[in-house]
Amino acid sequence: MYYLIVCRSLTYAQRIANALESAGVRARVLRSPAELSPSGCSYSVRLPARGLSRAMAVLRHTGLPYLGIYVGSVEERWREVSP
Amino acid sequence: MIYLDSAATTLQKPPAVARAMARAVGTMTSPGRGNHGPANRAARILLALREKAGELFGLSRPEQVILTASATHGLNLAIKSLVRPGSAVLLSGWEHNAVTRPLASIPGVRVGKVEAPLFRPDLFLADLDRKLAKGADSVIVTHVSNVFGYILPLDEIAARCRARQIPLLVDASQSAGVLPVRMDDWGAEFVAMPGHKGLYGPQGTGLLLVRDTARPLLEGGTGSQSRLQAMPDFLPDRLEAGTHNIPGAAGLLEGLRFVEKTGLPVILRHETALLDRAAAGLARLPGVRVFRGEEAGCQCGVLSFQVEGRDPGELADSLADRGIAVRSGLHCAPLAHAGGGTEEAGTVRMSFSAFNTAREIDRALEILAELV
Repeated sequence: MYYLIVCRSLTYAQRIANALESAGVRARVLRSPAELSPSGCSYSVRLPARGLSRAMAVLRHTGLPYLGIYVGSVEERWREVSP
Repeated sequence: MIYLDSAATTLQKPPAVARAMARAVGTMTSPGRGNHGPANRAARILLALREKAGELFGLSRPEQVILTASATHGLNLAIKSLVRPGSAVLLSGWEHNAVTRPLASIPGVRVGKVEAPLFRPDLFLADLDRKLAKGADSVIVTHVSNVFGYILPLDEIAARCRARQIPLLVDASQSAGVLPVRMDDWGAEFVAMPGHKGLYGPQGTGLLLVRDTARPLLEGGTGSQSRLQAMPDFLPDRLEAGTHNIPGAAGLLEGLRFVEKTGLPVILRHETALLDRAAAGLARLPGVRVFRGEEAGCQCGVLSFQVEGRDPGELADSLADRGIAVRSGLHCAPLAHAGGGTEEAGTVRMSFSAFNTAREIDRALEILAELV
């Protein structure tokens, strides 16, 4: 299981990934899956399940904007996680 | 060759600039067009450039830093975002054609200018107050004149614009990399600058510092929201259609690092010492009129002069034949020449960089003495 923080631009995804890495959360920027990107082409930050609570703290602290956070698992493709 | 034309383009660059560009050509592609190594390396360079520029120019959000092809590109984008047909624009009176020509292309724009003599910031501010009291929809100011090196009192100008809530556009073409440029402190709406002058980046680069009001000059692919036919509504994507100049960005980033490491006060002190030396030497030559500000802190980087009975272009060509690179003519700024009373023939212009030496100035003066 892992989480995706969906961002509206590559720049924001990079900034969020950098902030997470600085806080010790492994983060990787990738293109968002099509179903999470209805307008076509967006970017997400992928993080491991254990990183979510720290990631939420980083997002609150930095105020960096994002569109949504989704959890990916074998059972269900994507489910939005309430912040 | 002794290169004294840095107000056009700095020739000597920190070696890291060319190295970074070569590395980018060989190892990087385009940000946001793939999620592979070459694309991701390019994306990291671009973000690093935005962050470094944000630090240097007083911006908290790196997405407000837009990579442009030149200051002219940035000024066009800013002016066409800011100035509506029929609106009233107040200029400092020392602007380059990169400002006045885009304004001339907008129907019905009423362009006014501050009237004050060269190197008199006190009189400038007095007339600015009068003109602002009459009303203006926007103010456009060159920070440093590319003809005379005249430093406009930007802090005071910005304070007056803030007080009246008039949007301010700053052309920092000659000041970026030499004087403090502080977008947020000024409260400016836009600040435009080239990458290839005082920031020691390559030609074909520039930066535009923006706020959320900026509108696209070009439309096209951004690697984001690709199903929509409108440009994305977020920065920087909204203003950066098409493939980025990544080798340019990589070189410019190294230029910014050089400026930061050297320090603005060191660069300013060095260039001012060269300017003082050149001005003193020119003043000793017969028939030479030097445009030198008497007050400390009102001139930097650029020194114009005329020689009685000599055409500036012919003199500059003679200097070039002897290995001295300067610029002559109107320097694409007839408005500034009108202010300085030099619009008929223009001037010969020496301009300096962190890489010039006192010895180069002395040699250029020796050669000039043989010619006048």
